[in-house]
Amino acid sequence: MPSIPLHPRSSGLAPTKPTGAPFHPVHPVHNPLPQLLQTPSGLALLELQGTINVPASETEQDGPDENQDLESTSYETPIGKLMFPDYSIHNPDDTKWMKRVYLYVGRYQRMTGEVKKLPRPIAVLQKRAGTDGSEELEVVEIVRYKVFFKNRPEPVNDV
Amino acid sequence: MATQNSSSILFTNTNPQQGFRLLELTPELEKLFSSKDAPALELKSPSAALARAVVDPSALEYVNLCTPTQTYRIRQVQSSNSLHILRPSLGQISRADIKVVEEEAGESGSLNLPDEAVTAIAKCRSTLELHVPPGGFSAVPFLEKSLGLYDRRSGDDDGDIPMDESSRGFGALGLAELRDRVFVDIPVSSAQCEAGWREICAFVDEKQGACWRPSARMRLNVWKRLMEGAILQTIDLEKQFLVRDLWKSVLDEDDTSDPPFPRALLEAVVRRLCVLDEGPALADEIKWASFDKAECTQWVGETYLAATAPTSSSAIGRSDFLREWKDCLPESWRSEVALSKLQEGSYQSPDPTTISFVEPSQRQQVSQTSAAAPATAAKVKSTRNWHELLKNQKRH
Repeated sequence: MPSIPLHPRSSGLAPTKPTGAPFHPVHPVHNPLPQLLQTPSGLALLELQGTINVPASETEQDGPDENQDLESTSYETPIGKLMFPDYSIHNPDDTKWMKRVYLYVGRYQRMTGEVKKLPRPIAVLQKRAGTDGSEELEVVEIVRYKVFFKNRPEPVNDV
Repeated sequence: MATQNSSSILFTNTNPQQGFRLLELTPELEKLFSSKDAPALELKSPSAALARAVVDPSALEYVNLCTPTQTYRIRQVQSSNSLHILRPSLGQISRADIKVVEEEAGESGSLNLPDEAVTAIAKCRSTLELHVPPGGFSAVPFLEKSLGLYDRRSGDDDGDIPMDESSRGFGALGLAELRDRVFVDIPVSSAQCEAGWREICAFVDEKQGACWRPSARMRLNVWKRLMEGAILQTIDLEKQFLVRDLWKSVLDEDDTSDPPFPRALLEAVVRRLCVLDEGPALADEIKWASFDKAECTQWVGETYLAATAPTSSSAIGRSDFLREWKDCLPESWRSEVALSKLQEGSYQSPDPTTISFVEPSQRQQVSQTSAAAPATAAKVKSTRNWHELLKNQKRH
């Protein structure tokens, strides 16, 4: 097909301010991130210099098997901890907390970063499910902030 | 450090990872996607033949993102950083590995699993950025390559019309479908496709099931014929008239003979010259129209020049041109004629007394002579898979 449709977010609604609760129960899971980073679908962006190395068997394949039911067969490997040390759930309008975010990798390395507003919002696109014959894409989320670690990890004591 | 533990979120990596693309939105696109009834957009690339015929100096292979009215070139920007897409954990954490981040149990409760966890489900090494080149996007160069030239001399019926093979065999398809088959291969928005279609007076010949672009000579003939008809039937072209009446005025007195050209061609010319805010969408029938004197005058002048002096080697005398141009117009419009009414760059003067037409494509070349031509167009692959197209783009 020469022309591939790109569908807007299926909800159609665009809540500009996250209200804390997930908008639709795609992932009816508690979202532990600060409200500012929460999106209706739960998706958020984290950028870091370099890459996270996971054991060879777990590295990305050249394109995951599309037909696989990801939710049921997937598993999670712990990497570390994410911390927003200055964030207070009681004072969400104060944005000073955005200046400091920690990402502990393993137990002895820590990266320091910040939450940044994206200069331009980013649409997260995904292949639309159930369109095997013809390719169709869909906007699954529009993200306006990212957690950004521009510094190299520094050694720390076990937390 | 107790305070840290209380606010820390477990960070995990999900396997297998999912495939995502990140698209940086322009303010217009953000607004479009945020609107309640956001339209579906399209990722369009030219057909392999069109990509070879209409060479884009900036990219050999490309994908355009088209809204209903706008077109953006997609540029894949690689980053040395990795962008991870996170979402709240679903809790399938392999507990055997938890010691990676936490000392083995005993002090249960120090880590609230799985509620306080996020997981990386995808990694992106690039983002897609959008941009619009200075000249914007036009469907005209693509239409000129994909439509057959309609240049039928009155008298010969199935004469030497160059038939585009691909336009055969549409059978009983509707006009709109025939047109859409052309548009689907043109990598610009549908509004820009329609504008280009209108610009060159393209039309669908229902009988043949083919789409055409009339030659300048053909367009000039249509104009002369409709102007004569309008004068005979006292139709004031500047005031609203019924297109049906204009068509009747074009036909010969005796109804038996064939019309001089398809009615669709007359309508295409009427759409081109129709006062802007009166022109209906291509899908709608054009019933009423009125012409704008200035627009008509310019169009007739340029069309006459394109028909009689298409290149500098066939240049004609300036005074002859001005006289002929006037003769092509209704009596009351003759005073409109002046070289300054022609679009800038649309003509050239091989010497001070002569004049010839400059093709729109040539005009662009003049202003872009320094633009490096891309490597041979023959290298353009036949792939239209957008992943491939983006993969092969130049790294930034």
